[in-house]
Amino acid sequence: MFSRGMQTRATARWVDWGIIAVMAVIGIFMLMPFLWLFSMSFRPVADAYKMPPSFIPPTLDFTNYRAVLASDVPFLRIYWNSVQIAVLVTVGQLVTCTLAAFAFARLSFPGRDSLFFVMLIGLMFPAQVTIIPIYLGYAQTGLLNQPLGLALMYLTSSFGVFLVRQFMRSQPKALEEAALMDGAGYFKIFWRISLPQLRPALSALGIITFTQTWNYYFQARVLLEPQDSMTLPVAMDMLRGFMGQGNLSMVMAAMSMAVLPVILIFLVAQKLVIEGVTMSGIKH
Amino acid sequence: MTTIAANRPSELRRAQARAGYLFILPSFVLYLTFVLAPVIVTFLLSFTYYDAIDGASFVGLDNFVRFLTDERSLQIFWNTLRFTFFAVTFNVGVGLALAMALNRAMPAFLLYFFRLAFFLPVIIAAAFVSIVWGYFYGDDLGVINYYLIRLGFAPVRWLTSSSTAMMSIIIMDVWKNTGFFMIIFIAALQGVPKNIMDAAVMDGANWWRRFSRIILPFISPVIFFNIVYASIGAMQVYESIVILTQGGPGDSTRSMSILIVEEAFGSFEIGYAASVSVVLTLVILVITSLQLVASRRWVSY
Repeated sequence: MFSRGMQTRATARWVDWGIIAVMAVIGIFMLMPFLWLFSMSFRPVADAYKMPPSFIPPTLDFTNYRAVLASDVPFLRIYWNSVQIAVLVTVGQLVTCTLAAFAFARLSFPGRDSLFFVMLIGLMFPAQVTIIPIYLGYAQTGLLNQPLGLALMYLTSSFGVFLVRQFMRSQPKALEEAALMDGAGYFKIFWRISLPQLRPALSALGIITFTQTWNYYFQARVLLEPQDSMTLPVAMDMLRGFMGQGNLSMVMAAMSMAVLPVILIFLVAQKLVIEGVTMSGIKH
Repeated sequence: MTTIAANRPSELRRAQARAGYLFILPSFVLYLTFVLAPVIVTFLLSFTYYDAIDGASFVGLDNFVRFLTDERSLQIFWNTLRFTFFAVTFNVGVGLALAMALNRAMPAFLLYFFRLAFFLPVIIAAAFVSIVWGYFYGDDLGVINYYLIRLGFAPVRWLTSSSTAMMSIIIMDVWKNTGFFMIIFIAALQGVPKNIMDAAVMDGANWWRRFSRIILPFISPVIFFNIVYASIGAMQVYESIVILTQGGPGDSTRSMSILIVEEAFGSFEIGYAASVSVVLTLVILVITSLQLVASRRWVSY
C-alpha cells in the first residue's frame, strides 16, 4: 500500500511536469505574433518579405524606427494624441469616480440608491448605442475630430464608480465617523482619510483605464478622422496602407512603438494588470 | 448599512445631502451627457428617418422591419450570432482547458512566463494584433502558409475565401481572448475545496469523475459568467474584422457593428443605423438578463 502510494505520487509529479512542458510550448506559440512583430521591425527594408520570417531580431539597428519618425505620416503627433487622451481619461476617471464613490459609500442623502442604480444601468450599454448621438452632438459643437473630444466622453465610468464604491464599503468607516464628530468637513474627510485607504483600488482602476483607453478603436475611428487627430490604433491601420506595400519593416517599427507602453506596464506590474482587467470583467 | 451621522440632527443631515450631491455631480453629469442621453436619443432615432437638413421624421417601425426583412442585414445578423457562438464556445472551452492544465504547483518564474504568454494578447489592442495576424494569414507572403508549404501541406486562403474567413477571425479571437477566461477559471479552480478532491482520490474516483462530479458543479457559476461575458464582447466584434477582411469576402464576415458604422457614417442612414444598434443592445440585454435568471435557477453547487 505504502509503496503504491509513493509510486502514484511519483507518477503524478511526472504528469505534472509533462503538462507544464506542453503548456510551455503552447505559451511560446502564443507569443509568436509579438516575437515576429519586434523581430520584423529590425529587418532591413530590403529583406522585409524574405522567407523564412524571423522571430528573433536579426540586428538591433533602429533605422526603421527613425524612418517612421522621419516619414510624411505625423507619427509623433499621433502618438502624442494617444498619450494625451489616455492620461486625461485616466486622471479624469480617478477623480470623478472616487468622488462619486465616496458619496455613494459613505454619505446618506435622498435618492442615493436610485441614483447609484441609474449609474449602474450604464454598464449594459455598448458603445454602438451611444455613438450616433455623440457624433451628431460633436459635429454641432466642434468637438468632432478633436482628440480632446474623445477624452471628454470617457472622463467618468459606471464601472469605476462601482469598483471604488465596493472597495470603500469593504473598508472600516470608524475613522471617518470620528473625524466628522471632530467637525472636519466632508472634503477634508474624503481627502485625508478615505483617499489614502483606496490605493489598491485606484491603482487597479488607473491601469485598466489607461490600457483600455490606449486601445480604443471603434469610437476613435468614428470621431477622429483627419490624420492629425488620430490615435495609434486607428493610425496603424492607415499606416499599413501608406507604408505597407513595400515596407512591412516600417509598419512593424511603428507598431512596436505603439504597443510599448502597455507591454512595459504589463512587464512591471503583471499581477496588478491581471487583477485589474479581470475585475473589470466581474461587474455584476 | 448606516452612514456617517445618519442619526444626527436635521441640519447636519442637510449638509451631508448637499455634500453628497456635490460629490456625485461631475460623474453624474458626464454620465447623463455621454451615456444615458445618447442611449435615449438612439432609441428615439431608431423610429425616425433622419435627414441632416430636415431633421428627424417619425416612421414607426419601418427601420426595424427593414432590418428584419432585408436579406443582407439578416446575413449580417446571422454572421454576428455565428461568430458569437463559436468565439464564445472556444474562448471559454479553451480557457477552461488551459486553466485545468496550469492549476498546479510550479516555480515562480514559470508562473510569470505563463501569465505573460497567455495574458499579453488580452491587453494589447485588437487593432494592433489584427494587423500582425493579417500578415500571418496572407495568401502568398503569409507566415502560416509559408510553414504549411514547408511542411508539405496545401496553403489555405485564410482571409480571401468566404468559407474560411470567419473561421480565421475566430481563431485569432480565441488566441487574443482565451487568456482572460483562463485567469478567471484558475481563480475558480483554486476555490474547489481540497479536502473533497483528496477524499475523491482516496475513494478511487478517476479523473473524469472528479472533473464532472466535483469540479464542474463547483465552478458552474463561473462558467456561466464567462459565457455571458464572452457573448457580450463577441456581439460587438468590430476592429478585428475591419482590419482583417473589411467584412468580406462579399458580406461573409460583416458584423452588426460594421453595419452600424457604415450605415450611420458612410451612407448617413442615421435612423436605420440607430435601429440596428437598438437590436444589438436588446440582444445584449437579453443575454445579460439570462445571466441573472439562470444564475439563480440552474447553477448548483
